[in-house]
Order: sequence, then C-alpha cells, then structure tokens
Amino acid sequence: MASPRTSEQPPPHIDPTQAPVAFGSWAIPRLLLELQDAERFTRQRALAALCDLVHDHERAYDAILSGCMERLKVLLQDEDDLVRVKTTEVLYVLASHSLGRDAFLKLDIVGPLTSLIEDPVNACRKNVHQALNRIAEFPSGAVFMVSMGLVPKLVLKVSDEEESIRALILSTLSCCVSVNALPALESDAVPVLRDQLSHPSPAIRRAASSALVGISVPADGKMKVCEEHLLPILVKLLADDDRGVVANAAGTIMNTAVITKGKSEALDAGAIAPLLQLVVSENTAVCVNALRALTVLAEVPRARAQLLEHVPLLKTRRTHPNTIIQRAASTAIEVISWRP
Amino acid sequence: MASSLQTQHETQSGVYTFSSRPRAVPNRPKYRQSAPLLGPVHISNEEQSSYGNIMYDRRVVRGNTYAQPILPITSQPDPVEFLKQQEARKRALSRKRLKEQFGPKTPEPLEGRMNIDVQTEMYLEELSDHIEDVSVECQTDMFLDKPATPLFIPAKTGRDAATQIEEGELFDFDVEVQPVLQVLVGKTIEQALLEVLEEEELASLRNQQQVFREIRDAELVEVQRLEERERRLRVEKENRIKQQKAVLEEEKETADKIAARAFAQQYLSDLLPSVYSNLKDCGYFYDPVQRDIETGFLPWLMEEVTSTLEQRYVARTVLDMLIQDVTNQRLEAFQMKE
Repeated sequence: MASPRTSEQPPPHIDPTQAPVAFGSWAIPRLLLELQDAERFTRQRALAALCDLVHDHERAYDAILSGCMERLKVLLQDEDDLVRVKTTEVLYVLASHSLGRDAFLKLDIVGPLTSLIEDPVNACRKNVHQALNRIAEFPSGAVFMVSMGLVPKLVLKVSDEEESIRALILSTLSCCVSVNALPALESDAVPVLRDQLSHPSPAIRRAASSALVGISVPADGKMKVCEEHLLPILVKLLADDDRGVVANAAGTIMNTAVITKGKSEALDAGAIAPLLQLVVSENTAVCVNALRALTVLAEVPRARAQLLEHVPLLKTRRTHPNTIIQRAASTAIEVISWRP
Repeated sequence: MASSLQTQHETQSGVYTFSSRPRAVPNRPKYRQSAPLLGPVHISNEEQSSYGNIMYDRRVVRGNTYAQPILPITSQPDPVEFLKQQEARKRALSRKRLKEQFGPKTPEPLEGRMNIDVQTEMYLEELSDHIEDVSVECQTDMFLDKPATPLFIPAKTGRDAATQIEEGELFDFDVEVQPVLQVLVGKTIEQALLEVLEEEELASLRNQQQVFREIRDAELVEVQRLEERERRLRVEKENRIKQQKAVLEEEKETADKIAARAFAQQYLSDLLPSVYSNLKDCGYFYDPVQRDIETGFLPWLMEEVTSTLEQRYVARTVLDMLIQDVTNQRLEAFQMKE
C-alpha cells in the first residue's frame, strides 16, 4: 500500500546483469572502483552499467576526467571475453567525444586496441574496428594511426574478416590513406581493394572505392592503379546503383588520368560516355568528380575532339548554384576549348 | 441449597469451628419466584446455574474503594448519624411544605364544575392499571420422530470483523502511478534521446567531413591536373629547347668547321716555302764539295796543326825540363859549395 514513507529496503535490483548505479555524482567513481575488483563478475557488471551510462555526455566527460581511460586500457588485456567486449564498446562510445579522443592519443590506447584486432571474439573485433574507425575519422587520429604503422595490418585483415567488419576496416583505411597513402601502397593495398570492388555489399564497395581515391593521389599510386588494370572495373562501377560508389569511382578515374598512361587507359576503357551521363547528376560529389575527370581527360587531343560536341551540356552546369560545380564546369570548358 | 455444604459441627474441645468447601457465589435469580418456595426444593443440577458471573453480581463493589461510604459494622445507627438523618428529614419536609404553599397550583373549579385530568401531549396515551399482557403458549408435539442431527458446526467464536476497500479509498491509481511512469518513460526516452543525439552529432560531423572531402578531392585533382599539365608543358618545352639547342650546336659546329678549314688552308698555304727555307736553314741542303772540305779536309788540317803544335809544346817542355834540371844541378852544386 502506498505510504509517504519510503521503504527501508534497498530499491529492487531490476537488471541483474548490471551493477547497481549509485546516485548522482558518486555513480562513476563507484563504478571505477568496481572495475578494479578482482572478481570477474563484478567487473562485468560494472562495465555493463558503465556502458549504458556513458551515452550521456556529462557522465562521459565525468568518466574521462576521473581517469577511467587508464583502467580501460588495463582491462583491454583481460582474459575474460565479455570484459573485453564491453571495454571496447565503452571505448567506442567515448571516442565520439573530443576529450575522449585526446585521451586516446595521449595515453596511447590505440596500441593495445590494435593488438585486439586478432581477438577471437567477433563482437570484440567489431567494437575494436568501430573504435578505430571513429578515431581515424578525425585528422590527428588518422595521422597517429599512420605513424604507428597500423595500415599494413589493416590491409592484411581486409580479406579475412566478415562483411560488416570489412566495411569498417575499409573506411578506416580510406581515412588513413587520405592522410598519407604511401604505407598503404607499400603493403600492396591495390590488389586487395580491387577484389573488394566487386563485392555485392554497397557499403564495402563504397569504402573500397574511397580508399582507392586516396591511394591514387600520389604518383606511385596512379602507376599502380594503371598496372593493376583497375580502370575497366572503375568504368563499370560508374554505372553502379549506389551514389557514393559512383562518386568514388569517378574520383579515382580523375586522379589516375592525370598521368598520361592513365589517360590513355581510361580512354581505352571508354570512360567518356558514362562520365558525360554523370555530369547531369544531382549528387554534388558525383557531378564534381565527373566534371573534373572530363577535364583531365580533355588534355588528350582525341578526347578533346570528342568532347567539343558536348560543350553545351557543360555550359548548363555552369549555372548551378554550387560554386565548386561552377568552377569545375568552367575549367572543363576552358580545357576542352583550348587550342595549342 | 447445595449439598456440598459441610455443616458446622462441634469439635471435641468445644470450640466452634466452621469450614466449608469453597464454592462459587450462588447467583441470585433475576426474577423473583411467583410462588414462595414451599418445602424443600430439589433443584436439578443442570437447569439452574448456581454459578453466576461475579462481574455481573450486584453485590460486588465496583469501582473506587477509596472513598466509599463505609457501612457501620453494627446495624445500630450511630446516634450522631441518627441525629443528622433526622435533621435532614425535617429540612426536606419544610422544603416540601414551602413548595406546596408557593408552588403553582391548579385553580379551584368553579361551582357545579369538576376538574378533570386531561392529557395535553400531542399523542394521547391510554392510562390504566391493567397491564397489557399477551399470553403465548406453546406445546411440543408428542413423540415426534427425532430428525437427523444436523452436522455439528461449532459455534462461531470470536468477533466477526469485515473490511471492504471501496474504490478510491486506498489510493488513486492514476494519480499515484503518474510519477512512477514519468520516471520510467522519462529515463528511457532520455537514454534514447542521448543516443540519438550522439548519432546525429556524429552524422552531422560526417556530413561536414564529406562535403569538405568532396571539395578537397576536386581541388586536389585540379591541382594535380594543373601540375601534370605544367609538367608536361615544361617537359615539352624542355624538349623543344633541347632540340633547338642541338640544332644551334650543330650549326655552330658547322660554322666552326668551315672557319677552321679556311684558317687551316690559309695557314698551310705558305707551308711549303717555309719548310724549304727551314730545311735550308737547318742545313739539310748542302753543297757536297764544301761539305767534303769541311768534313774531311779541315779536321785533318786541324789535327795536323794540333799535332805540330803539340810537338812544339813537347819540345818546349823538354827544354824547360832540361833547363830546370841544369839549374837545379847548378843550384845544388852551388849549395854544396857553400
């Protein structure tokens, strides 16, 4: 029966898989204490509770500032699977805050995290890759990861993993590659990426093609792309359903065609027709990349002759509200109509 | 009465003792018996309860005993008390007489009239000495068959108590459940909102990154293309320049060759006479007779002259020696003489 006096019993413990959370600002410190407990069950429950709590920003900052990162770093090497899974999940959530990322880099949590790539538990690996992905998405994290030599390991792992994790690894790779593409080139990433381009999942294709865009930026990358005969595959991908894939394929073509060999190969693969169709697409990335690809290809005289007929089409693109499309269109027209 | 009474008896010493077994105080019958008890009355044990509840006995003093009017031990009235009572009686009488005199009385009836008592209340009631009574008789039927004894259900002991909670008496569910529900739903939604916020934040960050990346890629490729173009043009230019230089070089070489050839020709034009003159100067063209004389005759001549001169020199030397010898001998001879 309801009475105004609260019961003297402690509140009912609804979820036995989670540690009881203390009230207010004592919650996080208490959970941190429980994390250091010797008994495995306590640690698991504390981690499960912490996992739920850090979705709140204030609690997350609280946790980071009261030094839970060191604790989590130690727990990463725990023998128990569930502990590792939950630890990586907490790290993944904390990596979405800038303070958390700073702590990641300062305390070098990325090192132990990378050693967990070979973990036998699937969920753990997935969380690890998600966390690495988040870190790689912001610039200093990607620089750090490249300097740590993470890229070769990731390249090796691409073909082994299952689908969902593969997409994560590929997007991490593409972020690292956009910072510095040389380590990826040295570890033979291009053939691996070529295999991934024909995967049925659009997410994997998108990530693989964006990694290719990054790889084809340095000159060695362009040569490699030409050598591996990627251009016909890329031209085929221009007709893909996923807009992201199309944009990235156009981007890779435009990067590769900067060198002469690339130009000739692209023209042999018949890149001009699909690219012309893509120019009128609504997606900014697709449009811009197509325009730039055409610009690069127009340096070749025979292509120029072919493209001169389509100049009016490009002129329509010049009136687009987006400035980069305008600029791209005007440079394309300029290059096409250039006479020596 | 009770047969358990143990009467007094005289002990042998003549002292009177009385003892009786303890018995409960007999209950006074509530109603007085209509006929006085005649003769010895045999009361069956079952019908009349000789025990009465002491709590309901009027003879037991209840309540406060501190200030009870204590009955005198003897029934003789105390002379002081007696006097007091007499005085109280007299006072009461006098008070009554006063009341009779001065109290309101009904007026005397007029002549030929009589006072009748009349009831003045709203409802009349019949006053009579005759006590209404109803006589009720009952008589059992003789020797009816005893019906089956009903199931013995012991009588309910204890007091019945019933309680019923009417609607709305305990608590109002809708009002009470609201805060609980609020907390539950609120917490769930809060958590969900937080997670959604996180995702949204990340999604917007990614969007921004995507936009930046597009621009960056496009610009990068533009830069590269321009670089490439520059490089090509530069290479082209360099090639051309090299070619041009090569051509110039060739031309220069040809010109040099021609100049050298002309100079050589001119240089070598007076080569022959100078050669001849040189040779002549070096003495390669010679007159044979002269040469013969020079090579044959003159050395012989010189030899002869030299030998002749040598002879003369030798002769002179011998002569000198002779002279010296002689002089030395003469000197020695002179010295010996001394």
